[in-house]
Amino acid sequence: MPEFRVVDFGRVSALRSQTLWHALAYGVSRGGPPTLSFMRPSRPYVGLGYHRRLEEADIEACREAGLPVFRRMVGGGVVYLDEHQQFFQICLPMSLVPRSREAALRRLLMPAVAAFRAVGVPAEMGDDLEIVVGEAKICGHGAAQIEEAVVVVGNLIERFDHTAAARVLALPDEVRAEVVRLMERFVTATPADSAAFRSAAIAAYGEALGLEPVVAGLSAYERERLLELDGRFRSQAWLRGPQRPDPKCSQIKVRAGVFVLCAEHERSRAVASVVGGRIERARVSDPELNGAGAVMEDRLAGLSLADVGDVLAGFGAPGRRLAAAFAKARLPGGWGVSPRQGRREPPEAV
Amino acid sequence: MSDITEVAGFAVALDRAYDPAGHFWVSRIDSDRARIGLDALGVETSGTIAQLAFLPVGETLKRGEAFGSLEAAKFVGPLTSPLSGTVTATNDAVVADPALVERDPYGAGWLVELTLAAPAELGELISGAEAVPAWFAAEVEDYRLKGVLAE
Repeated sequence: MPEFRVVDFGRVSALRSQTLWHALAYGVSRGGPPTLSFMRPSRPYVGLGYHRRLEEADIEACREAGLPVFRRMVGGGVVYLDEHQQFFQICLPMSLVPRSREAALRRLLMPAVAAFRAVGVPAEMGDDLEIVVGEAKICGHGAAQIEEAVVVVGNLIERFDHTAAARVLALPDEVRAEVVRLMERFVTATPADSAAFRSAAIAAYGEALGLEPVVAGLSAYERERLLELDGRFRSQAWLRGPQRPDPKCSQIKVRAGVFVLCAEHERSRAVASVVGGRIERARVSDPELNGAGAVMEDRLAGLSLADVGDVLAGFGAPGRRLAAAFAKARLPGGWGVSPRQGRREPPEAV
Repeated sequence: MSDITEVAGFAVALDRAYDPAGHFWVSRIDSDRARIGLDALGVETSGTIAQLAFLPVGETLKRGEAFGSLEAAKFVGPLTSPLSGTVTATNDAVVADPALVERDPYGAGWLVELTLAAPAELGELISGAEAVPAWFAAEVEDYRLKGVLAE
């Protein structure tokens, strides 16, 4: 049976908990074997998705808390990572991975679902390609094509500090409080035995890929790339990342289908928690509301995003301004329904 | 107005050439400039696009090198140029609203424009009112056989 490499790095520095698996991806791209790797950071830090603006992280708060910030090459948003998370990465040559991103993610995350289940966590693959238990996400994942390799990363979250995770986001306090409230409900830890999880993951990926696991380490080429990556990830130029437009509307995603929207238009401001396309809770302000704010918030609660404009139209000029604020959400047609695929997600933030 | 037809359930513009490797379309602007975008199959296999980033105007690249990157479902991948050249324009509208690529892949959802370094590379792309639909239909069938697309 063909083989795949298993590398367990154990506890590593925050920097190496990123650069090691990036180095493996370059190695796989250069002809290295399919590789499953594990590691755990020795201390808390903040990870920034490849496309995200550095300004989305509260750099001052990170500095005060002594948290380094590293930009990764996989997607997603600003994430808080610490020693209570067992990271895993599966990396394959691009030729072995379906061309469809959705199919690729499903194929490479399903063995992780099996591993969770093997250690007693009733995990399922959600419709949104997130690993869930009930309504809560239990595994943060991301993926990238790095040269000629595809890597999918995830974690077993043994403990999760929701407040610390929200503290590193550059948000007004009222928005942060709402993010924490939703995180506590929709992101949960699964304190399983990490050694058992690693063993189960090796078995599950081996079976899914039809490959025999072989324990090994870094190649000489990967060691070279590791040193280069250490330098790159420490550099300010890399951390700053590609030029990105300043979004007109802040949308902080907690998990698929769950986000906090914060938008302004002229003198109006709206903060809304959205769950499954419906507003769960809204806070609105406008100098001309004249006490109608509470009524408007009641009317918005439970409303589909698609209906917000119609309802706010009944509140005169302040309603129109607030409708314009909501319309800045980055959703097709402004209201969250894609003509091709149904509900559209805001950019991943957490 | 583009000459759009339907092939195997997907819209395909017949007035331009296609890069089979990356599922990009290439439309000549003039003798040495071309506009590049994703075709409908490229859009479909990308999924819901969350982020796009492009090289700055003025950057030069060779065919096969990335002119930008695309993120969908937290999956980041390169946008690999079908042609060599210099980036002369990038579409700010799709950076601000990536869904525009899904809504109008052959029109407002274009990605970048290049001044061509090797116009002869255009000859290696697929073009023509007969060749493009035949190639595209075969691609869709292949993707369906491999389970990349739903039946």
